[in-house]
Amino acid sequence: MTDTTTETHVRPEFVVERLEAARDVDVERRLSLFERISNVNAVRKLTILLGLVVLWEGYTWIGKVEPLLFPSFSASASVLWETLLSGLMLEKVWITVYVLVLGYAAGLFLAAALLTFAVMTRIGSDFLSTMTAMFQPLPAISLLPLAMLWFGLGVPSLVFVTIHSVLWAVALSTHTGFMSVSETLRMVGRNYGLRGIPYVFMILVPAAFAAILTGMKVGWAFAWRTLIGAELVFGAASGEGGLGWMIFERGDNLETPYVFAALFTVIVIGLIVENLIFRNVEIGTVQKWGMQR
Amino acid sequence: MATGSEPAAGTAGTTPAVPAAPVLDVDGVTLQYKTKEHLITATYRVGFQTYPADRFVILGPSGCGKSTLLKGIAGYLHPVEGEMRLKGNAIRDPGPDRCMVFQEFDQLLPWKTVMGNITFALLNGGKCKSQDEAREIAHEYIRKVKLERFEDTYPHMLSGGMKQRVAIARAMSMEPDILLMDEPFAALDALTRRQMQEELLQLWDDTRFTVIFVTHSIEEAVIVGSRILIMSPHPGQVKAELNAHLHTHDDVGGEGFMALQNRIHGMIFADRVLEEETQPQHA
Repeated sequence: MTDTTTETHVRPEFVVERLEAARDVDVERRLSLFERISNVNAVRKLTILLGLVVLWEGYTWIGKVEPLLFPSFSASASVLWETLLSGLMLEKVWITVYVLVLGYAAGLFLAAALLTFAVMTRIGSDFLSTMTAMFQPLPAISLLPLAMLWFGLGVPSLVFVTIHSVLWAVALSTHTGFMSVSETLRMVGRNYGLRGIPYVFMILVPAAFAAILTGMKVGWAFAWRTLIGAELVFGAASGEGGLGWMIFERGDNLETPYVFAALFTVIVIGLIVENLIFRNVEIGTVQKWGMQR
Repeated sequence: MATGSEPAAGTAGTTPAVPAAPVLDVDGVTLQYKTKEHLITATYRVGFQTYPADRFVILGPSGCGKSTLLKGIAGYLHPVEGEMRLKGNAIRDPGPDRCMVFQEFDQLLPWKTVMGNITFALLNGGKCKSQDEAREIAHEYIRKVKLERFEDTYPHMLSGGMKQRVAIARAMSMEPDILLMDEPFAALDALTRRQMQEELLQLWDDTRFTVIFVTHSIEEAVIVGSRILIMSPHPGQVKAELNAHLHTHDDVGGEGFMALQNRIHGMIFADRVLEEETQPQHA
């Protein structure tokens, strides 16, 4: 070591024998009540909502707007409460949700069938990618006139467009998910003797579940928007329509508070499905498995 | 030292009485695979035999086709020439009679717990009929790799070494005819790696399984292997088969260990020089 050109600068060593106690500073301090409350996500978001309600109510009071055009928050809320109590709103919700569940389930089933076909054969894979490329950019609602010609005014037409809005979104993202399943996992599956449909459902589906769930969420969002949109066009074939029809009909009759009440309900159902149902499925699956944070 | 350019049998010491039949017989196997633009010959007329309780190491620089060869034995690739026989039967497809341990940590199914990963293999591989029976066997092997406390843990909560232990337990629980290990410790840190090598040797002492172990580390080959197949690259060919059954962790750095290590090092190194000189012949 002596023949280096720059010699090492040797400094004296030191060891601190007794550490000084920390004074004049909080080593650990409990946050103030305000700090703790404002750290809660829900509290902050509720505050925003409350602010919006105050703005709305204030605007309708001070601005003296025509209640037929823009009812106050309190008027809309009381109509919502009334319709909930009388069962009218729930009836409308049920009509819409019933069609939605039918269309969604049928869409998922068809997607599963197409995907199984696509995984097993090359022609199936080509078929799927061509079909999704074609139908994915096509808004399902644009098929409504055709559906009305083929199936008439009623539930079958609504189910038809709902299927279209679900099927391609789910198929596309599931297929992408399948393609990105790691080669190692595929080899593990085959090593332990899995082939054909068991291979798809025991390896590919769980391994691609994060993508499948994304597809289901997108499909749900499309389906919900499409269905409400389709109901605006018609939906009272047999004298009873769902939420979309309620929005259209009451708007036509200038019963604006009812329109707002129905819109609220559409939003709330959307939130419930996204934040309760899908969120919990996510927590119970992909998050538990460490595939998603 | 580097004169043997043709496949030669082991020269160090005499082999003890040869068991009647090899577990695995690889006979003049040429493996090819396609990339987007090329057809690559990964191994060219490779042949060797693995006998019961062998710790058979395939060693070579990257590009010598050792991993491809292992995938061929596992049944994921089909030879264009030659044949591979497991207990006399030609290998055609992947199957649970040859269980593979991969280098990648993602070989565990992330949606199953440690226990679930093993019972999955036992039930689908056809070793167990009932869930209870599978759990019992799985439990035994989890204990063997010292992961009892993590039975119900999901793989993403485990460290790399633990994941590899689960993969080893899963493969061993199937009691396959032959265990295939594709650089299983290559992605681990040096300390864990050493510990895993020791544990693997202990497990072998317990159950005397037959294993083919692929590595590119000479030291690992000498520690883990009882017999070492050395391959040369582009395309992969058998360069030598050496005995290493006398060496373990205990004599790392010892005279015999170093001699063998240097000998192998010389072979692989000489091979490179030789290859540069004779490149055109490989056309």
